[in-house]
Amino acid sequence: MPSRIVTLRVNGAERELIAKPSTTLLSALRESFGLMGAKRGCAQGGCGACTVLLDGRPVVSCLIPVVTVEGSTVRTVEGLADGDRLTDVQEAFVDHFATQCGFCTPGMIMSATALLDRNPNPTREDVNEAICGNVCRCTGYEPIVTAVLAAAERRRAAEGATELTEAEV
Amino acid sequence: MLTSVQVPESAEEARAALQDGAVPLGGGTHLMARAADRADGDLRLVSLRKAGLGGIDVEGDTVTLGAATTLAEIEDDDRLGHLAGCVRSIASPPVRGLATVAGNLFVPQPYGDLAVALLALDAELDVLGADGARSESLERVIEDGLRPGDLVTRVRFTATDAFRFYKASRRRLNSASIVTVAARIVVRDGLVEDVRLALGGVARRVVRAAGAERVLRGAPLNAEVVARAAEAAAIDPFDDAYASAWYRARVFPVHLRRALLGA
Repeated sequence: MPSRIVTLRVNGAERELIAKPSTTLLSALRESFGLMGAKRGCAQGGCGACTVLLDGRPVVSCLIPVVTVEGSTVRTVEGLADGDRLTDVQEAFVDHFATQCGFCTPGMIMSATALLDRNPNPTREDVNEAICGNVCRCTGYEPIVTAVLAAAERRRAAEGATELTEAEV
Repeated sequence: MLTSVQVPESAEEARAALQDGAVPLGGGTHLMARAADRADGDLRLVSLRKAGLGGIDVEGDTVTLGAATTLAEIEDDDRLGHLAGCVRSIASPPVRGLATVAGNLFVPQPYGDLAVALLALDAELDVLGADGARSESLERVIEDGLRPGDLVTRVRFTATDAFRFYKASRRRLNSASIVTVAARIVVRDGLVEDVRLALGGVARRVVRAAGAERVLRGAPLNAEVVARAAEAAAIDPFDDAYASAWYRARVFPVHLRRALLGA
């Protein structure tokens, strides 16, 4: 089967690549677009290191033939920060020492971002469940869970402050 | 080796593409994970992602799930709260964002927990074949399979408060089944009036525990009866990385009791 051109919206920009049937979304991101955040760990959907948001949902990008997601919107860890300004989840990972070797971190951050986008008030159990597909061999998970809860708290505080400002106006 | 991936835009087009050994691709969480292992010959896939087979429809008690509906979509749908426990016991959020309803019906054990639930609920499948659309019971399809080139388009079942789901696994989250029990069970005046029982993890395919159902039907729902029902269930466990066949057989009665009696 011949290669074909696939268009995706990646981190807000239209991107094109020439894909073989076996080209996965992960290899498109890493090898065609040079986005090295998502990692190739197990390549079987088991470790979560390749987690990205596909049309807003966390998915393991290693299992997706990229030709099947033509026209989709993809968000990777590179699409989170605004220049040097990290997102609340990224800040919290730094503040709470939630990263050691860093291999799982982009996937963890995407899973955590997806959780907070849907559930701004997660319990510790919600966080455990959200990251249960992301394997970390360094941290023992506790600093990661703490960071995600702290990010949620920070986001709620920021949103509370915004509401206050709007109310004052 | 993965040599072709077609992405048809309708169910009919998808069915027509299922020729010469091409197989349907749902979320790819099973097929794609093993694509690299297939050194022998071609793997040719027909993706259902754009074939218009998604969607969840609830009319009264009747629930219809499109074949390509993802497990994440089920999880997020408040109308399907009765399936939430089952779906959330399967893999992890980034896998459930891909894995599909129909895909789950055809993955080998110890996966396929949604299939166990749907078998207990006596689900019907809409199947598109070379000679048109037809309806098949999931039970028959699990026993005999589909004809080559058949495509499941929808899964339909009746939601009921009588549904129970229980899964024992090595870890509480993101772990395959050691024993899965799904039941539709109605108890009236202390006696089991009606029961339909499906099991996962205890045989190479999802099984209906008809022998156990016969013991339960008409009997009081207590530990002694459930123990006899467990003995009457035809199970044929296997060894894998999660548990040995011996272990599965040993703990099956315990988990059946927990599933049906909560203790």
